[in-house]
Amino acid sequence: MADSITQRPSALARWCPNSEWVLLAVLALEVVVFSFTGSNFLSVGNAFEITRLAAEIGLLAFGLTLVVKTGGIDLSVGSMMGLSAVVLGAAWSAVGLPIWIAALLVVALGAAGGALNGVLITKLNVPPLIVTLGTFSLYRGIAEAATGGYVSYTGFPSSFLFLGQGYIGGVIPTQFLLFLLVFVLLWLVLHRRVWGREITAIGFNAAGARYAGVRVGRGTLRTYVVCGICAALAGIVYVARIGQAKADAGSGYELLAISAVVLGGTSIAGGRGTLHGTLLGLLCLVVLQNGLRISSQPSEIAGLAAGLILLAAIGLNQLWSRSQLAALVASFKKTNLSSDGEFNMKNSQVALIIGAIIAGAVLIAASNMFLARSLTQQFARGSEALAPGGPAAKRLVLAMTPKARADPYFISVKDGVDAAAEEFGVNILWDGPTDPDPARQNEIIEAWITRGVDVIAASAVSPDAISTVLRKAQERGIKVITWDADALTDARSFFVNQATAQGIGHTLADEGARLANRTGKYAIITASLTDANLNEWIKFIRERMAAEYPQMKLVAVHPSDGLRDKAMTEARNITRAHPDVKVIIAVAAPAVPGAAEGLKQDGRRDVRLTGLSTPNLSREYLKEGWLDSVILWKTVDLGYLTVLAAKGLHDGTLVPGATSIKAGKLGPIAIEGDNILLGQPFIFNKDNIDQFHF
Amino acid sequence: MKLGPREIALLGAIAVLFTLPLIGVSGFYTTGNLRNLIIDNLPILIAAIGMTVVIIAGQIDISIGSQFVVCGVVSGLAAKSGLPMPVVILTTLATGAFFGAVNGLLTARFGIPAIIATLATMVILRNGLIRATKGDWIQNLPSNYQWLGLGQSAAQPVYILLVAGLFGVAAWALRSTAAGRSFYAVGCDHEASRRVGINPNLVIFASFALMGVLAATAALFNFTRYPSIESNAGIGLELKVIAAAVVGGTSITGGRGTLLGTLLGVILMGTIGTVFTFLHVNPAWEKAIQGAVILAAVVSDTFFRKAEARG
Repeated sequence: MADSITQRPSALARWCPNSEWVLLAVLALEVVVFSFTGSNFLSVGNAFEITRLAAEIGLLAFGLTLVVKTGGIDLSVGSMMGLSAVVLGAAWSAVGLPIWIAALLVVALGAAGGALNGVLITKLNVPPLIVTLGTFSLYRGIAEAATGGYVSYTGFPSSFLFLGQGYIGGVIPTQFLLFLLVFVLLWLVLHRRVWGREITAIGFNAAGARYAGVRVGRGTLRTYVVCGICAALAGIVYVARIGQAKADAGSGYELLAISAVVLGGTSIAGGRGTLHGTLLGLLCLVVLQNGLRISSQPSEIAGLAAGLILLAAIGLNQLWSRSQLAALVASFKKTNLSSDGEFNMKNSQVALIIGAIIAGAVLIAASNMFLARSLTQQFARGSEALAPGGPAAKRLVLAMTPKARADPYFISVKDGVDAAAEEFGVNILWDGPTDPDPARQNEIIEAWITRGVDVIAASAVSPDAISTVLRKAQERGIKVITWDADALTDARSFFVNQATAQGIGHTLADEGARLANRTGKYAIITASLTDANLNEWIKFIRERMAAEYPQMKLVAVHPSDGLRDKAMTEARNITRAHPDVKVIIAVAAPAVPGAAEGLKQDGRRDVRLTGLSTPNLSREYLKEGWLDSVILWKTVDLGYLTVLAAKGLHDGTLVPGATSIKAGKLGPIAIEGDNILLGQPFIFNKDNIDQFHF
Repeated sequence: MKLGPREIALLGAIAVLFTLPLIGVSGFYTTGNLRNLIIDNLPILIAAIGMTVVIIAGQIDISIGSQFVVCGVVSGLAAKSGLPMPVVILTTLATGAFFGAVNGLLTARFGIPAIIATLATMVILRNGLIRATKGDWIQNLPSNYQWLGLGQSAAQPVYILLVAGLFGVAAWALRSTAAGRSFYAVGCDHEASRRVGINPNLVIFASFALMGVLAATAALFNFTRYPSIESNAGIGLELKVIAAAVVGGTSITGGRGTLLGTLLGVILMGTIGTVFTFLHVNPAWEKAIQGAVILAAVVSDTFFRKAEARG
């Protein structure tokens, strides 16, 4: 690789200047493994579905490739997605601009945001990591401040939603075309235009490039503008895909995109890197995620595997180039020319590589369709043979998604789910996003649709966002119910209703007012300001307080980011900043013990505390009197009932119009319309807490 | 320690921030509130000491949020298994040292850029922890876990003194010992430091190992404030700590920075939220304000550097 001046580089080095072969091998391995472990992994439908998931991260990663190649980095791209989403929604909905004009405006905004990064970096000479760390907070902060975190714009026209949800020719997701267009454009720019060479030169040695007549500042600034535009486009696609525009769009996407870029062989120190390498890196990550989901593995396995692949790929690459270095120890200075292969790569070579990738994919997909068809036939025959009275009747596969995987509340629901699954012989797939993130939840459900499950039971992070994929599931013949948090009513058959948002809000308000003797100031501690469900409860708390307890005055709503540490700090700050506050209502499971510990450490017996949490997290504080009550339904029963409802729907024992359902050990449960009612929220206090262990 | 223009500007910003609550706001200047402010920011400060050293050595560690929570969970499990507290503390520190050493090996031995290596370990540790705990908190800890069994009122001054001592030793060692200066040397110029007889890879390895131990220390100072351990903690800690170090004047390209600056950065970034709560500012603005402060700090830094260059 390094000796290209003196002798012709080896074939491998010519074809894969950045060891792209490692990624191809990883990708091939993934494809082979998942075609065995996952159902419907290898199918044309899934191949294209993967590109839908890849589009947003891909757009970010392409823009980032340019930036990283100059030796920079942009951490603000995910936040720019959030700001773009909010501006798009506001321009369309509040200002009333036509949606495509609004989209153009957002692209201009992306360019401006990128330019701000670029100007600070090039004109003021501030390191990119720091500038974009600042704008990472700033862009997301503006989006949150402008909407208060909770405003979400929905109801976009279907022509716009087609961009994120539609298919061209029945199989190709619309955004794939945009993805492809941006890829081709940027590839040409990076590998065939003068500016691309400039970027490479700047990345290797900015000072040297300057002496060679490259306008380093201008060349670098432009990469940030392009990166900002890509982020804005990703934001638009995101809004079109999930059908809602909110300040939390794209949180955490920057890390995934950076992973794809560096996995694709772009050197974080600059100079080395190709756009097709980024594409391969991206595919490795997305195929891994998709394949593991389809193989019914929980998301944390995908996270673990992605981290390991990142280490292995980069580590191998380093060792590889070092061993070459050792061989070429004499020609030390020439090592910087290691990108020569990349420079010399001919169009015909590129075309051949890309052609080979596509041909391979088509071949795999075609052979698979054949395989899948013959397998289904076998299965059909097999099940016919087993069907008559056979005990091996196929077990119901129920896929359940909570709003957030690690939330103690959902963990306690899972206990009930497992109990019912064992009792009634149901296979459970349980997966959800790490944070309540509507886009991730949709991706999980998409994978289940491809995999093929019998029933999907969802607790919706966002009703508007989830309904698009749930409708799709219903179209594919999958039964859909919701639990805990409802979707739009046409996107599911039944809602297992543990308590309405109104019921929860009113119970919390009543309890708060009771603790304050109906007069005084109260404060609310929530998870994040963007959490749709919690905002709904807070709305009803405020409504009830205003209507029934006019003497109660809300002084503040503070976010705890779903963390106990921050909830404790917030509780102590609130009680000191508003010394006459009488009641705190904490509406997130970790916030209740956090606030209770805060009151305890400050010895604030004068402040009453209530909220929504699990008995296990609240027990000690209830007994010690730092917490007066927690409100919750019997979460274990909620899980149990959801499994039974899913089973009933699948077996045909639960049909629309039913007025009750036999719920095993729970006895008959009433159904009102299409709501299966678990009952009123339950108030736990120090007298009854010891009867509950979940 | 001599105050540079950066430290003076930071002191000015902090002075403004601490003046705001004087105007018509009660309750900020109470011993209780100030003590809470300090106690809450001790873990951040400890982690920021490590991060400053790592950044001075020209590296970065974005896995500390994950290291922090894994060390916390380990400390809880160790305490629950009935080990005496000194052993629990040593186990936790050893865990942190191990993770730091892994990061150090990946970067110093295998040559993986720090940002990539620690991005990978961040994801691996976080997901591994979710796999292991399934999100359950560690509860029913023995009574000698919270505040190390000292009780809140006795423990808090002890904690503050311990961290003050740790900070003082670290600041002195980084500034005035050969070992401390070697971090600057390596961060300034890897090759030049090698030529003067420093082993740069060893120094880089040491900076990550130290970071691991300090992440574990931060975990101990954080989680022993509670009677249980939240298995989801530490998300976003790395950005908070990096922001504090950078606002404090540590150069992200390595070779430049002081622990005094970092201390001021922690004070500034850690106090904004609380002051604004007392001023009854809508919390939706908090992120935007923090971003603006970071940008203001780095932009002002370029002017300081120009002023310095002029002498």
